[in-house]
Amino acid sequence: MIITELYVRNFGKLSDRHFYLENGVQIISGDNEFGKTTLHAFIRAMLFGLERGRGRAAAGDDFIRYEPWENPGIYGGMMRFVCGGRRFRLERDFARGVKRASLVCEDDGEELSVEDGDLEVLLGGLTSGIFDSTVSVGQLKAEPGRLLSDALADYAANYYETGGGEYNVSGALNILNEKRRAADRELRAEADAEEAKRRRLQQEMGYLNEDMRRLKAEYAEKSSLSENPDEAADLRCVKRTGTVLMLLGLAAIAAGIGTAAYLFMVQNAAAAALAAGTVIFAAGAVLFCLGIRNRKRRRPCGGGRRRPDGTPADIRSRLAGEMTYIRGELCEKKLRYENLQEQYDETGKSECRMRLEEKCRALEMAAERLQKAAQAAGEGMERRLSGRMSGIFASLTGGRYRSVEAGRTKGNFRITVWDGARRIPASVLSRGTVEQLYFSLRMAAADVLLEEPFPVILDDVFAFYDDKRLESVLQWLSREKEQVILLTCHNREERILKNLVRERRVSDEDKFA
Amino acid sequence: MRFIHVADVHLGARPDAGPLYSEERPRELWETFEHVIRTCEKEQTDLLLIAGDLFHRQPLIRELKEADYLFSELTHTKVVLIAGNHDYIGTNSNYRTFQWSENVYPLFGETMQYADFPELDTAVYGLSYHSREIRDPFYDEVKAAGVRGCEILLAHGGDDRHIPFDRRKLEQSGFDYIALGHIHKPAVLKKDRIIYAGALEPTDINDTGEHGYVKGEVNGHEVHTRWVPCASRTYIHLSAEVCRDDTTGSIAKKIGQWICENGTENIYRIELRGKRDPDVLLDTSRMAEEGNILEITDRTSPAYDFEKLYAEHKDSILGKYIGQFRECREDSVEYQALCEGVEALIGSMRK
Repeated sequence: MIITELYVRNFGKLSDRHFYLENGVQIISGDNEFGKTTLHAFIRAMLFGLERGRGRAAAGDDFIRYEPWENPGIYGGMMRFVCGGRRFRLERDFARGVKRASLVCEDDGEELSVEDGDLEVLLGGLTSGIFDSTVSVGQLKAEPGRLLSDALADYAANYYETGGGEYNVSGALNILNEKRRAADRELRAEADAEEAKRRRLQQEMGYLNEDMRRLKAEYAEKSSLSENPDEAADLRCVKRTGTVLMLLGLAAIAAGIGTAAYLFMVQNAAAAALAAGTVIFAAGAVLFCLGIRNRKRRRPCGGGRRRPDGTPADIRSRLAGEMTYIRGELCEKKLRYENLQEQYDETGKSECRMRLEEKCRALEMAAERLQKAAQAAGEGMERRLSGRMSGIFASLTGGRYRSVEAGRTKGNFRITVWDGARRIPASVLSRGTVEQLYFSLRMAAADVLLEEPFPVILDDVFAFYDDKRLESVLQWLSREKEQVILLTCHNREERILKNLVRERRVSDEDKFA
Repeated sequence: MRFIHVADVHLGARPDAGPLYSEERPRELWETFEHVIRTCEKEQTDLLLIAGDLFHRQPLIRELKEADYLFSELTHTKVVLIAGNHDYIGTNSNYRTFQWSENVYPLFGETMQYADFPELDTAVYGLSYHSREIRDPFYDEVKAAGVRGCEILLAHGGDDRHIPFDRRKLEQSGFDYIALGHIHKPAVLKKDRIIYAGALEPTDINDTGEHGYVKGEVNGHEVHTRWVPCASRTYIHLSAEVCRDDTTGSIAKKIGQWICENGTENIYRIELRGKRDPDVLLDTSRMAEEGNILEITDRTSPAYDFEKLYAEHKDSILGKYIGQFRECREDSVEYQALCEGVEALIGSMRK
């Protein structure tokens, strides 16, 4: 494809400007702020349209960036190109609310439809992503604080390991990973909720168990009592004797105190009377204590708060009644326990949880297969790219470096060049040489990825080239490429190119002579 | 002789009935059952047939008392019931000891027995579950003994683990009417003769459709039945077809409309299907704000034309990725992985 004419009606700072282009290296030079990068963006917008970003992304997108400040109602232009031997005229209007594109074949006047993908067919599989990563070349940029050679390595890795093109595999893997983590979180929350439900059931079962244990103990006690009703009767005797003992004790204590008081008052106490008083008091105290203990011992055995007296037969029938009641209670609790157990057994994975698990599996599978696809796409690419890149780089450097190698060692993607004696890592090469490696990589990628030759657009990429290398690259471009659009703010490209053309003309004349 | 045939009342169950009704749902099961009993009383129905699973689990004494009180209020109707797989008669079952009112005739034996109603010239046969599962096809061998003019069989089961039966054998068993229980969806196996009444109230999210009971009348050997809907709520599964123009908001609005059209008293499960705009993120949690929705599942896939993408990007990573998923079905994990991967790849490209 050859671009023959660009007419910028209104686009960014450019308006009503014509650019006529021919085959070979076309230099468009101008001072800073002339609008070279705008023209570059214009070509891209003509080829691929100017999609508006959504939401926040829209703030910095090309649509906003190049929307004309004056007369924004007119926003667009025209492009003429030759493709497959036929001439076409492509017109686009980007203005808000208008957005129109027309494509006409100027040879036969046939109207084609951009909407239906006719332009894509003409571009032969060139998408905006591939365009950006091959024939549209700007300066190699590194994020602040990073080596340029690292940026180059990243860039090369994308080609070597994923076949290049518009896709960002590590970005895609990140997206999948994030989704996976989110799904995992949801899954955990769901599992926790289910677990909480189960715990509640278990807790309830625990309470029931406790109740049953208590009822069983009570039942056992009652059944032992009912087997031996005399004991129950004895208990009451003990209680009665206890009370009698206590009363006797109280009386004795009172007597002891009385005796002592009497002695105190009379003051002519006899030793015998004193001894008698002491003994009576002590005996009384002992009896009192025994009485209290006996009364107390009765309590834990009785269970009931109030128990009417009765014959052993009465007691037995009453106990039997109570036992039947406990048995019933116990049965009912056991049933409830079993029902809860059943409910507990029925708790399983919810459908929601299974769905989430499925989603996790799908995301995992997607990540795996994506890596596999990247590998498959990268296969062969490495070989094809390396050979081509070495050739281009060798001719740019006038044969100083013979080959380029790239690959992953210890997890890092590295690029090295071979000068015939040593293998030199890219990180120690000069900025200009790294730029030339980058250029070689892109041109090699364009050769490998593009089916149809496409104009190469170079936006101020030769700033770091010395004159010799610049001459080599221009020579290479005019020899290898059908059309090159070179945007520059320097005059030296034009000067060198003129010399080259003069030389070529001379050599061509030689040939024809 | 007129009868009402109910089954699978599942008293005591606590079905998930969505955010609005789950609390009240156990009570509603009782209320609908009471409604049936009131109907028996009002219409002076001769027999109330309960074909198993009156209770969801082993009935507690108080539950039995509650149910029996309702039965005891019937001045004319006689109640015949069997125990199903849910309320099977285990060793501790209260069914073993409970004293029913006079008009209740439980057929709780493990083998076939019948309740005789000479005044109605009717005999009702049945057996009860004594374990959670019975795999023997007991009903295949059962024949009406011919002790009364009208003979009815109460049967519970019909799947592999719950007394499987051969329908043709049942048809030839000689019963005038076979009242089936266990399958929650009402079904007529033979018109006016062999009928699943279905659960009285739906008790599970998958019990979709209407629920109710069978009303029947026997004259000699002529039987006429009519199915009467009476459940207070219905589980409704809606499959919502999503198209490229839809967003979370537009779908939420549509769901709101569907629920209005299908009744706000019902319980919904909604599944989103179809192809959505790849750029649109559907947030199901924001769609369930109105109505009684149990859950919304998003089964939509981004509207990519995978065949076309594959053809156009055969040699690139996208094509190689899609190529790994050829011939996978749309509802498989593979397909989900395909959508996720393509979405991520294309998403990463835009960045």
